[in-house]
Amino acid sequence: MDPDAVAKAFVEHYYRTFDSNRAGLVNLYQEGSMLTFEGAKTQGAQAIAAKLASLPFQQCMHNISTVDCQPSGPAGGMLVFVSGSLQLAGEQHPLKFSQMFHLMPTPQGSFFVLNDIFRLNYA
Amino acid sequence: MDKEEKMGVEDQLEMVAKAFVNHYYHLFDTNRAALAPLYHHTSMLSFEGQKIQGAEEIGQKLAQLPFEHCRHFISTIDSQPSPFGGGILVFVSGNLQLQGEEHQLKFSQMFQLIPTQHGSFFVQNDMFRLNYG
Repeated sequence: MDPDAVAKAFVEHYYRTFDSNRAGLVNLYQEGSMLTFEGAKTQGAQAIAAKLASLPFQQCMHNISTVDCQPSGPAGGMLVFVSGSLQLAGEQHPLKFSQMFHLMPTPQGSFFVLNDIFRLNYA
Repeated sequence: MDKEEKMGVEDQLEMVAKAFVNHYYHLFDTNRAALAPLYHHTSMLSFEGQKIQGAEEIGQKLAQLPFEHCRHFISTIDSQPSPFGGGILVFVSGNLQLQGEEHQLKFSQMFQLIPTQHGSFFVQNDMFRLNYG
């Protein structure tokens, strides 16, 4: 499958899970995974899922503007660079964000998130 | 003499990332032609969705961008180790002032830096996007 298509499919799955079942994100990370969320660092699937679950909003919706991807090296990883906007329930204006993922293949033929860095893009 | 504070691996990584970022944008803003040596023949650049491969082509692309002078203002630098290769992932956001333009452009950029034999780093992956209002 075309790497760009794989990256897009993963990104759509990630944000759909984020927006409809945030707890389900735990399955997309593993023990060695790292998240930097607005500068705050967390490691490991459980801690990352707890961090994301504790974000101070119930509902949100991600709208993706751009997805760029490149292979990261001989281990078969993919770097994915996303930009878009984030609408929080009850807020009038969407927030702009950028995010990068480093995806690594699993033995089952899918991907998990090894590295994840998220930043809001303030005006 | 005071005992030196033991610097964790993560702090070292952050220092390397910051030093690289400052060096990269300083070169970009003062001597764009000097960027090519920061890349290797395997390097990849995605610039506003356009994919370019190899130091020479990347150097040409950056040199041909339609402005003489620009200035990067960095707002945030985040970094993480990139396992399976010893590299560093660096995620930058900031503003870009083009000469003659009234308003600054917002941008995000990510790099994967890979160590060289000589103790420095080269850019293996580079993705740049403007963040439109």
